[in-house]
Amino acid sequence: MDKFFDMTVLIAQGAAVTLEIFVVTLILSLPIGALAALGRLSTFKPLRYIMEFYVWIMRGTPLMLQLLFVYFALPMIGLKLPDIAAALLAFTLNYAAYFAEIFRAGIQAIPRGQFEAARVLGLPHWHTMKRIVFPQVLRIVLPPISNETINLVKDTSLIYILAMNDLLRVARTIVQREFDMTPFVIAGIFYLTMTAVLTWAFKQLEAHYGKYDA
Amino acid sequence: MESMLELTGIYKSFGDNQVLRGIDLVVDKGEVVAVLGPSGSGKSTMLRCINHLETIDKGSIHIKGKALVEGGIYVDESQQQQVLSATGMVFQQFNLFPHMTVLENLIEAPIYVKGIAKEEAVNIAENLLNKVGLIEVKDRYPARLSGGQQQRVAIARALAMNPDIMLFDEPTSALDPELTGEVLKTMRELAAEHMTMIVVTHEMSFARDAASRVIFMAGGVIVEENVPEEFFNNPREDRTKAFLMRNN
Repeated sequence: MDKFFDMTVLIAQGAAVTLEIFVVTLILSLPIGALAALGRLSTFKPLRYIMEFYVWIMRGTPLMLQLLFVYFALPMIGLKLPDIAAALLAFTLNYAAYFAEIFRAGIQAIPRGQFEAARVLGLPHWHTMKRIVFPQVLRIVLPPISNETINLVKDTSLIYILAMNDLLRVARTIVQREFDMTPFVIAGIFYLTMTAVLTWAFKQLEAHYGKYDA
Repeated sequence: MESMLELTGIYKSFGDNQVLRGIDLVVDKGEVVAVLGPSGSGKSTMLRCINHLETIDKGSIHIKGKALVEGGIYVDESQQQQVLSATGMVFQQFNLFPHMTVLENLIEAPIYVKGIAKEEAVNIAENLLNKVGLIEVKDRYPARLSGGQQQRVAIARALAMNPDIMLFDEPTSALDPELTGEVLKTMRELAAEHMTMIVVTHEMSFARDAASRVIFMAGGVIVEENVPEEFFNNPREDRTKAFLMRNN
């Protein structure tokens, strides 16, 4: 029983690393994704093309490759980042691209009539985006963002190749040392708990922002 | 009589499709102008040009004597805002803000555009909701209202900005037939208060007994205009006669 407790403590320490990557990536990639979406919808063509290219690269290559690139390839051209910063950079760039696509679809789903109604009332453009468009976009994008967010929890396990002691790596280390499968079960429970909390939280958000539905 | 709106030589194309081919129209204060015509005649486009939802290619638009566009050249953005603040618009699809309650829909622009204090904006809004008979639904979201109620809220929302001229773009076309009556009643009451109105519509009864003038458009031009009685009883143009035959 003591052994079980010790394992759980070690894995919980790994879970803290996982959570750190998760939280920071989420906080950074959501606003960057929103800005990238505005860029993709911009009437300024060069900006649009740059954003399309960025999204294409990030969605068109494995996240694992992007992690390896930031971690091993960038130092070769003189850009050596600390481990955690390298992981965060790769995760943020990758997830921001996915969020950008979600936000873009959300903005495009707002009927033109909403913009026109705001315009004939004399509301300025930024005010229209902030007060009329954004709250409606939020409601539309919450389910797909919830989906991506849950993926992110699990994708954090990819950092094991960067030799960072996240939840999964700690569990695997114990398994290899002790020849005991329990750590995998414990790790699974940790992941399930995190995704369950997220699922619940997004449900509350969806209920809050969906209150105006018939 | 003071002229509220003057359109002079308006031309407008969408690509190769010339939708307006020289529209001249003067609307005086307190007039209720019904605009009739087959679909594709350019009547909605004309209305949308008045408040710059569409940009014209050629011509001039003056609202309350002030230029919005002169000889195809628009005045600068802030002047446009000022000129257009005299107009209010009601859309076919209502276009209420779905995430705001009825009351919030009404006070948003008065507070943020006109800078009116919230209590006063609420006061104005509640008076208007009383007028259109919807005060009891002021805290509901639009999705909980019938189409007719939504359109009356949309009318109240436009009126909350205290416009001098109201533009209606087929306000009853998206409604079930049994709901058009309540919207037309609200519009009739507005007309009786001498609001200047331009109403693009398919409602012959409204044009006949609430309008002070009827305009018939086809092929991007105004084919015929007259007082309702003359327009319906003695149409002069063949195209008008054919249209009235089909629609009466």
